[in-house]
Amino acid sequence: MSEMQLGVHSFIELLETIADNKYMLGDRLVEIGVSGPNLEATLAAVAMAQGELGHARLLYNWCFDLRGVKGKKAEIRGQTGKAFRGVVNVHNWISLIAALYTVNTAIHIVLQSTLESSHSKVASRIQKLIREQKDHIIYAKNWAKQLRHDQGAVPHRFRESLNGIIDEVYAWLAKVEQNQKLQTEGYLPKNVKLTEKFKEQLKEFNTEHLVHMK
Amino acid sequence: MIIEKERRSTFDVFARIKRGDHLMYIGTVEAENKELAKIYASFTYDEEDWSEMVVVDRDQLVWVRKPDGLFAEKGDES
Repeated sequence: MSEMQLGVHSFIELLETIADNKYMLGDRLVEIGVSGPNLEATLAAVAMAQGELGHARLLYNWCFDLRGVKGKKAEIRGQTGKAFRGVVNVHNWISLIAALYTVNTAIHIVLQSTLESSHSKVASRIQKLIREQKDHIIYAKNWAKQLRHDQGAVPHRFRESLNGIIDEVYAWLAKVEQNQKLQTEGYLPKNVKLTEKFKEQLKEFNTEHLVHMK
Repeated sequence: MIIEKERRSTFDVFARIKRGDHLMYIGTVEAENKELAKIYASFTYDEEDWSEMVVVDRDQLVWVRKPDGLFAEKGDES
């Protein structure tokens, strides 16, 4: 396989990981979000589910194009198995908010970096997605702050959920930033600092795991 | 999960369909802060492709005239 094909292959894998996580977040936002703590949060969760599923479809279709699939795109019936365990296992409001905030923040960092790539069509594909995703991050971040300052066992359980998913997301970002094929083929800028940006973004939550990550 | 009702404020939502149209009152959202109010308003009132939408914390409104409550007693200013 040529260097270029390896680069495309790595990029497809990156896009599919993002798409799978968005697909699962969409699914969880409907399943769990529909019983949110108040009416507004519930309505927003269901609306965001549509957004996440739409983003997933856009990214899957992009993967089909990169693979050279012509004609009608296949219907998406499930993720390809690359979604994070912490997203697949979301089972309550607390773990939903932890996953939504952490995963979308990481995805935002990766997609922002791809905008600096030398591939001209990247921007037109994902600009709208990035804009919409910002609202999802603001929503999740504000709810994360509330859960952190809630009463009883909630702050502790939220911290546990956050720490659980942060490990997985951080490991993925480290793998992506070490993938030389993505940088050589210009899909990501040289010496991209994804993990550093991620730590910076989550600094205010000051989780034990981020503090210990080198 | 205990999200205190007292911590939430009512935000009035206003929007304009096209440039030059009147700014219309379209509803309310209850939110914990103005960032969430903006998100809730844009997801809840998405029936139009609004050119402008604003949320206003009801506590920030400066009343020029305010009707008495229906059962207000004489001298009651609340």
